[in-house]
Amino acid sequence: MSASNPPAARPFLPPYLLERVASGGSPRLRECARHTLLVDSRFRARAGAVTLPPGSQRRGEPSRYIHSAEQQQVLPGRLMRREGEGDSGDPAIDEAYHGLGATYRLFWEVYRRHSLDDQGMALLATVHYGKEYENAFWDGNQMVFGDGDGELFNRFTIAVDIIAHELTHGVIQHEAALEYAYQAGALNESLSDVFGTLVKQRQREQRVEEADWLIGEGLFTERVAGRALRSMAEPGTAYDDPLLGSDPQPGHMDQLVETREDNGGVHINSGIPNRAFHLAAMALGGHAWERAGWVWYDTLVDQRLARNSDFTAFAGLTQDNAARRFGASSEEVEAVREAWRAVGVLP
Amino acid sequence: MTKDPVGEPPELRPGRILRLSREGGFAHFPGLARPRCIHCSRCSKAQLSELQALLQALSGIPVGSAGNDRRQFCVALVDEGGEVIWSQVVAEESAPQPLLAWWRRAEIASSQKKTDGRLDKQAPD
Repeated sequence: MSASNPPAARPFLPPYLLERVASGGSPRLRECARHTLLVDSRFRARAGAVTLPPGSQRRGEPSRYIHSAEQQQVLPGRLMRREGEGDSGDPAIDEAYHGLGATYRLFWEVYRRHSLDDQGMALLATVHYGKEYENAFWDGNQMVFGDGDGELFNRFTIAVDIIAHELTHGVIQHEAALEYAYQAGALNESLSDVFGTLVKQRQREQRVEEADWLIGEGLFTERVAGRALRSMAEPGTAYDDPLLGSDPQPGHMDQLVETREDNGGVHINSGIPNRAFHLAAMALGGHAWERAGWVWYDTLVDQRLARNSDFTAFAGLTQDNAARRFGASSEEVEAVREAWRAVGVLP
Repeated sequence: MTKDPVGEPPELRPGRILRLSREGGFAHFPGLARPRCIHCSRCSKAQLSELQALLQALSGIPVGSAGNDRRQFCVALVDEGGEVIWSQVVAEESAPQPLLAWWRRAEIASSQKKTDGRLDKQAPD
C-alpha cells in the first residue's frame, strides 16, 4: 500500500470487493461496500446485551419475537412481529418468523424439545441488521441476520437452514456447550448444519435421496460461481468463485486443515462430520431426521459429550447412542460406524 | 484466533509489515479472509505514530464476543524476516473505526497465502 494519504480520504472497500471495484466496479457496489462497516461503535458495542422477553409456558408452543434493526447495528431493534401475529409483508421478518417456527417444530415434534433450553426459552431474532451487512450470527441470546449486499449475498433469512443453523447454536449452548475452536468448534458448526438441513428436509418432506444436502442455497446472488455455502454430501464443492475463493472444506481426515484462521477451522473442518452424517443418513434411507437425526440428537444432549470433544470422541458417542436407541446389532449402529470409517475418523 | 505473542506491541519501523484481516462469519471464504498489508516503510512518521497508538489501544479491547459465526479482526505485526512478532484479535463490533479505515485502504496480500493461517513472508519494498 502506498500509505501517503490519511485513511479517511479513501472509500470503504471490503476485501472481497476491492479487486472488483479496482477493476471497474459499479457505483452501487461502491456505495454498498462503503456502508457495510461504517457503523456507530456505541451501537455495535451493545451486541449480546439483550434481555430476553418471556418464553413459552406451554410445551409444544413457541414464543417468537422478530425485531428489525432498521439498518443499524443495534440489538434487538424494533419489535415487528410476535407469536400469533400474521404476516408483515416484509420478507425478512416473515422468513425469520416462519424459519424459527419450522426449527421449533423439528425439535419439538421429533425430539420433544421445548425450545433451545427445553424450558420454552423465547426465540428472538433481529433482521435488517446493519446496512448491506453480509453475515448471520448467534450472539449468545438471539439470532441476527443481515440483508446482504445484494451484489454477492442475498438476505440471510432466505434459506431456512441458515435460520435453523443459528438456532441450533443456541441448543448446543444449553447442552454440550462445545468450545468454538478446532475440532470441538467444527463439531459445533457441523451439528448446526445437521439440524439446519434436517429442518429444511422436513419442511420439504424430502427423503434422503431427494435432498440436496446444501447449506445456504439461495444465499448467493447469480453473480457468484457457487451453489451454496457448503455441501454436506460433497464438502469442498459448494463454490469456486474469483472473489470468494474455493470452498475449503475437506470431506476426509486425510485432508484435515490445520489452521489458526476461522477459530481453528471451525467452518472448514466441519465438512468431515457433515459428510459422516450424510453417509449415515443415506445408508439408512427414509427421512434423515428419523433415525440418523435421532442418533445425532441423542449425542448432542449426551452428558458425556465434553466441551472439548474431538471427532473421534463424538463418533464413539454416536455409535453408543445408536446402540442404546436401536440396539447393539442394529442397522443404525452399522451405518454410523461405516460413515465415520468412510471419512477416516474411525479405523 | 491466535497464539502469537500479545501484550505490548513492538515498535513499528521500516521493514515491518502490519497485516489486517477480517475472519469468521457464517462461512469461511478464503477470498474474503485474505489479509491486507500496511508496509511501514511506506508510511510517514505521523502515520506510524497513529498506527502505533492504535496498536496500543487494541490491548484493552475484548478479544472476542459471545456466540457463534461472528466476525473478528486479526492484526499482526510481521518483522523483516517474515515472522509474526505480535498479534491481536478483536471482535468486529469492538474494532476501532480508525483500524477499519486502515483495513479498508490496505492492499490485499498475495493470493498464494498459506492456508495454515501463518503469514507469508513479504519483502519490504
